[in-house]
Order: sequence, then C-alpha cells, then structure tokens
Amino acid sequence: MKQKRPLFLILALVAVIGAIWSFMILSAARNATLDQRVQDVASQLKCPICQGESVADSPSQLAQQMRGVIRQQLQSGRSDQQVIQYFVDRYGQQIVWSPPWQGFMLLAWLVPIALLLGGVGMIIIVMRDWHAAPRVETNDDDADLAGIDENELQHYRGQIEKELAESDPIFTPRRMEAH
Amino acid sequence: MYFSDVGTIALILALGFAVYTVVIAVLGAKRGITALVASAKRSSLTVTFFLLVAASALVVSFLIHDFGVSYVRQESNLAMPWYFILSAFYGGQEGSLLYWALMLSIFSAIFIFTSRRVPQALVPYVVATLMSIEVFFLIILAIVSNPFVRLPVAPPDGQGLNPLLMDPGMLVHPPMLLMGYMSFSVPFAFAVAAMITGKLNSDWLRSIRRWMLAAWSIQTTGLLLGAWWAYHVLGWGGYWGWDPVENAALLPWLTATAFLHSTMVQERRGMLKVWNLALVIASFALSIFGTFEVRSGIISSVHSFAYSAVGPYFLTFLAIIVVFSIGLFLYRLPTLRSEQEFDSVISREGAFLFNNLLLVGVAFATFWGTIFPILSEAVRRQTMTVGPPFYDHVNGPLFVLLLLAMGVGPLLAWRRTSTSVLWRNLVVPAVAAAACAIVLPLLGVSNVWANIAFAVCSFTVTAIIYEFWRGMRVRHDHGESYFLAFNMLIVRYRRRYGGYLVHLGLVLLAVGVIGSNFFQVERDAVLKPGQTLNVAGYQLTYLGNIAYATPGVDAVTAQLQIWQDGRLLRYIYPGRQFYRNFENQPTSQISISTFGLTDVYVFLADWQGAASATIRVFINPLTSLVWLGGLLMLVGGIICWWPERRSRLRMPAKETYAKGTALANKGHGDRSVEAGVGQRREGTLVASCLGDRDPAWEAGNARVGVTERNDLASYGQDTGASEEPTL
Repeated sequence: MKQKRPLFLILALVAVIGAIWSFMILSAARNATLDQRVQDVASQLKCPICQGESVADSPSQLAQQMRGVIRQQLQSGRSDQQVIQYFVDRYGQQIVWSPPWQGFMLLAWLVPIALLLGGVGMIIIVMRDWHAAPRVETNDDDADLAGIDENELQHYRGQIEKELAESDPIFTPRRMEAH
Repeated sequence: MYFSDVGTIALILALGFAVYTVVIAVLGAKRGITALVASAKRSSLTVTFFLLVAASALVVSFLIHDFGVSYVRQESNLAMPWYFILSAFYGGQEGSLLYWALMLSIFSAIFIFTSRRVPQALVPYVVATLMSIEVFFLIILAIVSNPFVRLPVAPPDGQGLNPLLMDPGMLVHPPMLLMGYMSFSVPFAFAVAAMITGKLNSDWLRSIRRWMLAAWSIQTTGLLLGAWWAYHVLGWGGYWGWDPVENAALLPWLTATAFLHSTMVQERRGMLKVWNLALVIASFALSIFGTFEVRSGIISSVHSFAYSAVGPYFLTFLAIIVVFSIGLFLYRLPTLRSEQEFDSVISREGAFLFNNLLLVGVAFATFWGTIFPILSEAVRRQTMTVGPPFYDHVNGPLFVLLLLAMGVGPLLAWRRTSTSVLWRNLVVPAVAAAACAIVLPLLGVSNVWANIAFAVCSFTVTAIIYEFWRGMRVRHDHGESYFLAFNMLIVRYRRRYGGYLVHLGLVLLAVGVIGSNFFQVERDAVLKPGQTLNVAGYQLTYLGNIAYATPGVDAVTAQLQIWQDGRLLRYIYPGRQFYRNFENQPTSQISISTFGLTDVYVFLADWQGAASATIRVFINPLTSLVWLGGLLMLVGGIICWWPERRSRLRMPAKETYAKGTALANKGHGDRSVEAGVGQRREGTLVASCLGDRDPAWEAGNARVGVTERNDLASYGQDTGASEEPTL
C-alpha cells in the first residue's frame, strides 16, 4: 500500500489538472471578445501585398483596411468562417494562411498526421521485434559469478573502487577501512 | 592583373586539387597505400590554402572598391562603412557560395589535424566525401556563379547592399547560418565513410557525435541570431514566422537534435544503427535543400534577396546525394544488426524513440508545409499558402509533448524502469504542474492552451532542477558545498548535466514563445504631438518627428515617451531610414525597451511632416526569455561538446572490465554499487572501453543498466551514503 501512494497522488494531481483544463475549454468559447475574434480571423489571412506577413501583423494600409472590414462583418453577426470565405471569394485560396479541411488541400493536414500515426505503429512493431529477438544472455547474475574465484572477486572489487575514485573523488571508499 | 584574377586562378587551382584529393584518397584507401592517403590529406590542405587566397582576393577587391568586379559593384558602394563592406562578402549569392566552400575547406583542415583520434580506415573516405562536396561548390563557383567576373568598364561607384541587410545582424547571422548548413557535411562524410568501410563502431560514434554536436551548436546560434535579427528589423513584433527559409534552417536542426538523442541508444545499447545513419544523411540532405530553397527562389519568402540560375544545379546535387546515400545504405543494411534486444517500453530507450518520433514528426510536418504549395501548384494548378496557423496547429502540440518527454525521459533508466520508483520521482514535478495549472487562471490567464503549455513547462523545469538537486545533495553529503557540488556535477558528467542545461534553456525559450504568442498586445494609432496611447499599462506620449541625414542615408524618427504608473520610464525614437539607391525600400529602426521580462516594441509605420505619426505598439511579455533560454542552450551545448581531459581516456586492463562488470551486476539488488558504476560510465568507463569492443564487456555493459535509477541521485537517496558495503 505504501508503495502505491505516489501513484495515487499523481493520479489525483492529473485529475485536478484535467478538471481545470476542461473547465477552461468549456468556458473559453463563450467569452471571446470582438477584438480577439478580429485578431483571430486576421491572423488566418495572408496580407496580399506583403512578403510573408498576415493581415494581423502587417502594418500596410491594405491590411489595416482589411482589419476594418473583418471588424465590420463580425459586428454584423457573420461567423469567422463566413468572413474568411468572403475574402477567399475575392482574393482566391492563397489568401488563407492554412489550407482548408477539404479536397486536395486536406492532404496538407492528413499526410503529417498519418505519418505520425504510422511512426507510432512502426515503433510498436520494432519494439515487439526487438523484444521477440532471442536472448543472448541470461539475467542470472549469480551464474555469471559462479566461475570466479573469491580472491579474484575481491581483486576486481578493489579495482572498480579504485577506478571509480580516480574518476570522481566522491567515490573514494571512506568506509573501506571497516572491512 | 587584378586581385580578382588572382581569385579566379585560386578557385581553379582549388578545384584541381579537390578533384585530385577525391581520386587519390579513394585509391589510397582501396589499395591500402598510406602514402597516397597522406598525399590526399596534404592536397586537401592545399585546397584550404587556395580558398583562403580566393577569399582574400575578394576581400581586398571589396576594400579597394574595385567596382570593375561585377559582384563588388553589386554589393557595395563608396558610402558603406568598412564593416558592412566586409559583410557584403556573403551578401550575395556568389560570395555566400564562396564562403560556404571556404568554411567547408577549413572544417576539412580541422578534421585532418584532429584525425589521429579517428579510426584510420575512415579517414580517407571522410576526406574524399568532404572534397567531393567541395568539388561541387567549386564547379558552381568557377562556372555558374563566379564572384570574380569583371565588367568591361568599371563604374565609378557600386550599387550597395540591400538596406535590409545593413544591420548589425548582418555581421553575425548569415555567416553563422551558412556555417551551420555547411557543418552538417562532416557528420555526413563520417556516415558515408562508415557505410563504405562497414566500420560503424563506437569510435566512429564518438567522433561523429562531437562533430554533430558542433554542427548543432552552430546551427542553434544561427537560428537564434536569425530570430533576433527578424525581431529587431522586420517590425511585426515577432521573431519567428514559419517562413519557408526559416523552416529550411530549422529542418536539419531538428534531425540533428533527433540524432544526438538516438545516438545515445546506439552508444549504450548498440541499437538504432540504421536509424542514426538515416538521420545523419537526412540532416545533410536537408541542409542542401535549405541552400537550394533560398537560392532558387521557388518559394516566396522574406529572404528573397538573391535568386538565380544555380537552383537546378543544387537540385541535381541533392538528387545525387540522396540516390548515392540510399544506394550505400541498402548495400550496408544486412550488416547493421542491433546488438541488443529491447526490454521495456518504459525505459530510457523507449523515451528516446518517442523523442525521435516527435522531432522527426515536427521536421516532416514542417517540410511538408514548406513544399505543399509547390505540390498543389504542380498537381492541381491551385496557388495556395501554408502559413503560421498550419504550423501552430500541427507542430504546437508536438512541441508540448516534446517538452513533457524532456521532463519524464531523464527519470527513466536504461532497459527498464520500476514503475513504483518512476511514480515516486514524478510526484514533485507533477505537484509543480498542478500548482501552475491552478495558480495561472487565478492570475487571469484564461487561455487554456497557454495554461496547458505553461503547466508542462513547469513540470519539466521542476524535473530538471530536481535532478540537479538530487545530484548536488549526494555530493553535499560527501562534504562538498552545494556550489562546488553543482560545478562538480557539470565538470564530471558533462554530457549528462550539459544536456540538462540545454533542456532547461529550451524550456525557458518555450516559456518565452508561449508568452509572446498568447499574450502579445498590439495597438495601432495615428498620433498628434501631445497625444497619449495607452497599451497594457504603458502610456506612450508622442512628441513629434525629427528628420536627419547622414551620408548615403536619410532618416526620420518619431520621439515618444514611455510612462508607467505616472513615472517617465524613458524616451524612445522609432524611425525609418532611406538608403541611397534603395529609396523605395525604407528600413525600420524599431525601438525595443525591455522592462523586466516584458518588451515594449514600437514601430513607426507612417508619418506626415513633423507632427503626425502612425505607430504600432506591441507589448511582448516574456520575450526576453527566448534569448536567455537560447543562450543557456548554447552554453549547455558547448559543455556537452567540450573535450574530456586526455588523461581520462586511458585504456585499462580489458579483462578487469569483463569480469568487473559482471561483478557489478552481482550488486544489482544493491543500488549503491550500480549507481556508482552506472554514473561512472558517463566518464572514463565509456571513454576507455568503447574504444575496445570486448564482447564480454559489452554484455556486462548492457547489464549494468539493469537498475531502477542508475545514477548518482538514487545512489544517495535510496541507500544513504553510508551503506556502501558490498564492495
């Protein structure tokens, strides 16, 4: 029972953390402010006249105007997706920073995920393979030492002690005198 | 005779000697003629010499303003200060390729001077591989992209460097990053040599590990400097934008990081040889891919300074590298058997496999995102972009898992870990994570993703500090002061504790990234003199614009005050600069003021006359930690890399170890013995014994790992220092 105590403690901690996070996830969706939503939508759009900057980041006039449009549209009750679609209709697909979850573009998302899952599968197979490999050695330690003479054993013990101490002084066998 | 002619001649001579080196090195190795190998080494040094001559010729051409040289005319002008003229050396494509070739030849020379410690059978092949790469660059330099090409008539003045490059960052970032790319050639050469000779033993592993560590450190520096430069120059308040060129630089870093971890599995357990080779090859191929991507301009990027015709050459070279490596690889595959079997998923090996999966996963997702627009264009004729949101969604969770693995991994023992000990070791970090998860929402952090990420960071930091603490406490019990104990841990067990420092640095960096990603506040405003902008507790009062001119540069700066709680903190002068010849490309002078860990980042977006300015203000909390963490990573990397003292590499009696380690296993119920031995293997034992692959020792070596926690910490904690009796 005493052995298990740390495990229970950890499970309890994980439960507490999990509860906090799920509560935060549930409550987060409700209280996003307009500013946050504008920022959110703008950061998903690429500024059409800049080199590698989003509408949220770009200081250009066009990006400023686009942020205004986003704000207006969100205020008039459109959803984030509708606003993004509005810009896609006008500028084409390349205005969206991240590929949409449909058609050919889905591959952009699915291939890395599939490969990652494939990797997990690979690891499991490889591990099983290694595990099943015939054992060359036994773990029977006494068998290893059976053939060694007691004096010899003493000698090797001394040798290990000595070299340990040489490599790092704190291994100096202070208690050896007691022997 | 101009200096540029000297340069051209030196390049051609270098090419000749490089070709000679490749031929003679391979011939010498095949026939076993040492005189030929020695000749190859000397001729490789000659290549270094001629490249130094060529580079000096270019430097001199720049310094004497020889605008008859097309490259000098293009990249410099009379108004530039001498340090930017020197940095113009690598400002364009021709020069940066020459820099690459020069650095490669210098690294080859370093390799040759230190090659006595490398298994001799490998040396000629390493030299041959390095010089083959050199031949490729020299051909490009001599034929397609020669920096010494002369104009028919020398113009009176040059065009000058792109103003975005006229920044202190230019002096350090490109040379570091180019050197980083280049430095992956040496591990690659080792891999090729090992595949040709079939000598993939521990000597090989030790040599390649240190070269890879060096490459990793250089690349880390290059990436950090790039991030720092972007932060100071580009004006969008961030330092990393998942730009295709940034990605390209990150890719070899990721695979190299994976290699540095999985190589430990090979070192300890003789497993994962195939995988490690693949990672070395991938790192080099990705570094060439990166160079290709920057130079070909196939993907639009903020780094679009130099497009040209060398793209196809690099693509061909890349194809040759990949085909050649895969061919060799398949040829060697049958002999690359694992020497040990896997025992348990919950073990250090398991943690390293998981770590590799994540790192390679991030690398692949990044690579995929970088090339997907090209695929889309080719397959569906549909232009599209893959930007930060994609990488945030795919890589973000993977990075969080990696951080978590960094906390758990060091707590696991090799082969298998007793779960009860694992739970016990996890308690303290888990408490820290829970505390973080509870306290942060109370402090007003309402974003759940930030909370998750911070909790994981706090878990990992605690786990690492706890490791240090336990090691220190054991030493303290033996009479060392805590400060001395801390130093001794790092001095004695460089790889282990240096690695922890790198981890600690990475967690700090992660905290900085999380902070600036989730809690950045941004405001735009058009201000008239006297008006005040209020952002996140800071008040910015605008005073007016000042225009001034220095030779070659016209500049305008806005003058503002930063106030907080009614106190004037400082005056700031964000501005814009216009360089002659580049009037339509104004550069920004961004004002970054750091208060504690928070940056107030002010960018002058636009202005009218002397009394109106459009400014953008970013409040970036915790961004300082990015640089601090990065610095710590570098320090840790250098500690890991720093050579062991030679005296510790003595070769002890072989049989002592054969039986001695068997004896260590005897004590396997008694952790104190193993703790000592396990710990010690980080130092002398590994160094001395891996050099000599005694199978009996290997078997013993593997078995020493059968311990719950084979480190100093459990040595003290679990047995108490006084119970050292079995020996």
